[in-house]
Amino acid sequence: MALDRAVYKRLQEIVGERWVSEDPVHLETYRCASVQTASHYGPYDNRTPVPQAVVLPSTTEEVQQIVRLCNEYKIGFKASTTFWAAAGYVGDDNSIQLDMRRMNKWEIDPRNQIAVMEPYAIAAQIQAEAMKHGLTCAITGAGCSTSILASTAGWNGGGPSTISMGNNHDNLLGAEWVLANGEIVRLGSLGSGSGWFSGEGPLFSARAILRGAQGMGGDMGVCTRIATKLSPWPGPDHLPTYGDAPAYKADLPDNFRAYTICFPSWDAWARGYTAFYDNEIIYLGHRQFNMFGRDLKAAMIKIITNSEAQLADLNTLLEDPETQRQNADMKIDTQIVIVGMTERDLAWKEAALDEILADVGAHKSEMMLTKEMVDYTLAYLIRMGHKNLNYVYAGSYEGNMAWSSNVFVDAEWMETVVALKKKWEDEHDYFARVGGDSGLGSMTRAGGGGSTGFEFFIHYDGSDLHSVQGTRKYMDYTPIWMKEHGFGQDLGRVNDTARREDGYSYTQEEHNKLFYGTPAAHLMKYQWKMRELMNPNHLGGTYYRTLDPDYRPDAE
Amino acid sequence: MAIKEYRDMQKRCSSCNFCKWIPFDKVKSARFAENCPAQAYYQYNGYSARGRFQLGLCLVNDELEPAGETQKVIQSCLSCGACDVACKICRYNLEPLEHNLELKREVVRAGNETAVQKNMRANLMSEHTMLAGKKKEDRDAWAEGLGLIDARKEACEALFFPGCQYAYNRPEEARKAVQVLQRAGVKVGYLFEDDACCGGRMHQMGMQEDFEAAAKANIRHFDAVSADYIVTPCGDCYHALKRRYAEQGLAKKVLHLTEVLAALIEEGRLVFTKRVEKTVTYHDPCHLGRLGEGYEPWNGKEVKIRSQIVTWEPRRPRYNGIHGVYDAPRKILEAIPGVTLVEMERIREYSFCCGAGGGCTELDPELSKWTAAERMEEAKATGASAVVTACPWCVSNLSAAESGMEVTDILTLVCEAL
Repeated sequence: MALDRAVYKRLQEIVGERWVSEDPVHLETYRCASVQTASHYGPYDNRTPVPQAVVLPSTTEEVQQIVRLCNEYKIGFKASTTFWAAAGYVGDDNSIQLDMRRMNKWEIDPRNQIAVMEPYAIAAQIQAEAMKHGLTCAITGAGCSTSILASTAGWNGGGPSTISMGNNHDNLLGAEWVLANGEIVRLGSLGSGSGWFSGEGPLFSARAILRGAQGMGGDMGVCTRIATKLSPWPGPDHLPTYGDAPAYKADLPDNFRAYTICFPSWDAWARGYTAFYDNEIIYLGHRQFNMFGRDLKAAMIKIITNSEAQLADLNTLLEDPETQRQNADMKIDTQIVIVGMTERDLAWKEAALDEILADVGAHKSEMMLTKEMVDYTLAYLIRMGHKNLNYVYAGSYEGNMAWSSNVFVDAEWMETVVALKKKWEDEHDYFARVGGDSGLGSMTRAGGGGSTGFEFFIHYDGSDLHSVQGTRKYMDYTPIWMKEHGFGQDLGRVNDTARREDGYSYTQEEHNKLFYGTPAAHLMKYQWKMRELMNPNHLGGTYYRTLDPDYRPDAE
Repeated sequence: MAIKEYRDMQKRCSSCNFCKWIPFDKVKSARFAENCPAQAYYQYNGYSARGRFQLGLCLVNDELEPAGETQKVIQSCLSCGACDVACKICRYNLEPLEHNLELKREVVRAGNETAVQKNMRANLMSEHTMLAGKKKEDRDAWAEGLGLIDARKEACEALFFPGCQYAYNRPEEARKAVQVLQRAGVKVGYLFEDDACCGGRMHQMGMQEDFEAAAKANIRHFDAVSADYIVTPCGDCYHALKRRYAEQGLAKKVLHLTEVLAALIEEGRLVFTKRVEKTVTYHDPCHLGRLGEGYEPWNGKEVKIRSQIVTWEPRRPRYNGIHGVYDAPRKILEAIPGVTLVEMERIREYSFCCGAGGGCTELDPELSKWTAAERMEEAKATGASAVVTACPWCVSNLSAAESGMEVTDILTLVCEAL
């Protein structure tokens, strides 16, 4: 289905001929094959629909004109920046794809410690520029290749820095938002003509409409500019690195410390985490390297920190008794970075850390205390530029068994969850056999500390149907298992209700059936009303879930 | 390999889009963070390595043809390898550059070469050079009167391989290169009328058969020569000989002129006597730097360990740019009295292409020119007065950007200081 010629011509007039295309090569390269990405953001076996055109706007005004045009002709649209997740791709045959790459401007306001940015200013760029002013930005667990605007305004935004800098969605200040109906809304202080500095007011604010904990997945218009809070950076004006690719390391001053903490039990882990929260000593905290798996992480750390090593070395390393000992030592572990703003501050934090470790019987991994390991950990967690080691084994990963709760609840269940995954690893060959525990997660899901959040990585081969289908079986089973064991909903399949397995958006009728009678029904009815107000022609996707308030199943 | 043999690799691309950026640990500013000229200029996803994997999968599935706009996208790749380095920050089982080259071969297999490519082939066959308008009989004019050893008849220490750019367009520099080596006591040989184009740009443009024919002919001559090593002042030729000829069976040691000069300086055989008061920045040529790694033979297969971990058996050589030629030119610059080196943000294995790679000067001059201008912006940001490099293609393309900044061959500085 080609776009109406009049529509295409109007798009050309809006952005210029160069920046709109309907050539098949460009349409096909804006499709998401979801086995290549985290499939909890979409389907397993299918690609997302072919957009009718790809458009690259350069200003908010151009975006507004495009959105108005789409409303005039009832054409769907989806804006995306880095095109990592399926949420950014169109969900039906009558939609156009907005690629926001050309909107990449940014500005650092050191006096107010904020950054104002457009969609395609990625985290690595903002952090590099902020560092020149003694500042840094929160970088999500998804890594520095991601758009800060996307995680701040439209999706989740937690990671290693959450404990000291908050989630990106906590850091949202002013925002400029082209609603799906073509209106431009300015939120926070921006809306009252006071600049970008505040997300709430002065006095009045519509911030809560744009997002709660979970954003709108880009379904309710296009956020074209935001401001985000920056945090102090007690380091040099750039990330000083050394070493050969891919094992770059950061050579930072002595006020930076990185440790891998090894706990004797999950209970000790939980007590340690709460003590970290209470004492506010952690700059960055993430259970990071366990994503490689409990049995493999020491060997994998040796591979990724050595520029000459590779996956073919894995089995040899696994047979090495010293590596086995080191691996066993860090069975229940987490990575932390401590930063001293002054010498006294650092001394106090180090002393507090030692006391906490003594209290819970934990210790620092000896293997991770060498300068090279410390420097690698620093580079990794500060810049988050190696995040896609998620995909290192075979190109695809899935996150499941995900929950966010009180750490003592996590501790109680952890080994049960590990045993389930290990059973599947041992009995099948669907995904990488890593020792069951591949739980990765931020030290906290809330700035300052509080509930933690985990997901278990399942490493599978997106090119291998057996691996894909087997992973899917496991992914289908775990939410059932979790519900039976009182965990509630699993992140791994939460987006079942966002996009159909064939890659398309749901119809309203399908959403009605999915949500009617569920605990979330009242919320979905409320969201239905919000959508009717801001997106009356239903031109986004269905990540913003809705339930028609008048729907009754017996009416069919 | 045919493109269909890349199917698994295409499907294993994770859409992470690291391929669009320099390694993130190395990002020092927002301005100079991108790595792929084609992606940065044309902006559409298809121009990135990730997009090319998707595009390639569509070719395999017969959803696209290697013609028209698809061909334009394929041929916009500068084959500079920046995406390859970035991808391999996190991946050990993808080869984006080899895939990009295979896409180009697919265009040729489909019979869709451009007129430019056909002319280059015709020129290579008749005149033994791809440079338009150049004649075989003029190729060795630059060597006259230098006292070069006829390597076909007599043993030598270094077999000098000038490459087409030096032989035809920069004869004075070619002469200087030989004279510097001779001054240091190196016995330099030459193939005279048997010297011919390396064919490396054929490889970069997907014209594999033509490249292999050129390589085999040259290898026959090289094999017949008694020389300790082959030395070339050209980055493109260096990659062709060091990596691609080795794949075709060349066993002789291959060195870039900067490697030889750096060694001669270290041995005290080359001593600088004059000061060159200049602040310079060094541009790493892609084919000398990240693509300047030597070939290591490998005969093995892909295996899965621990159910779904994809690797190779036996261990496969990994090309990710770290063993390219980076230090030798810098050592030379450091050794020249008066020269101060200030680095650009994108250097070494994550350097930004000059725009001449992949045959783009001929196939996509608009992109090529933009890329050069972009690189010169970065060079200017260092505050240096000149860009120094070690490949004639880079010198030529960066100069064409008309940035107002001096662009010079490292050899010129060496000669000024002697």
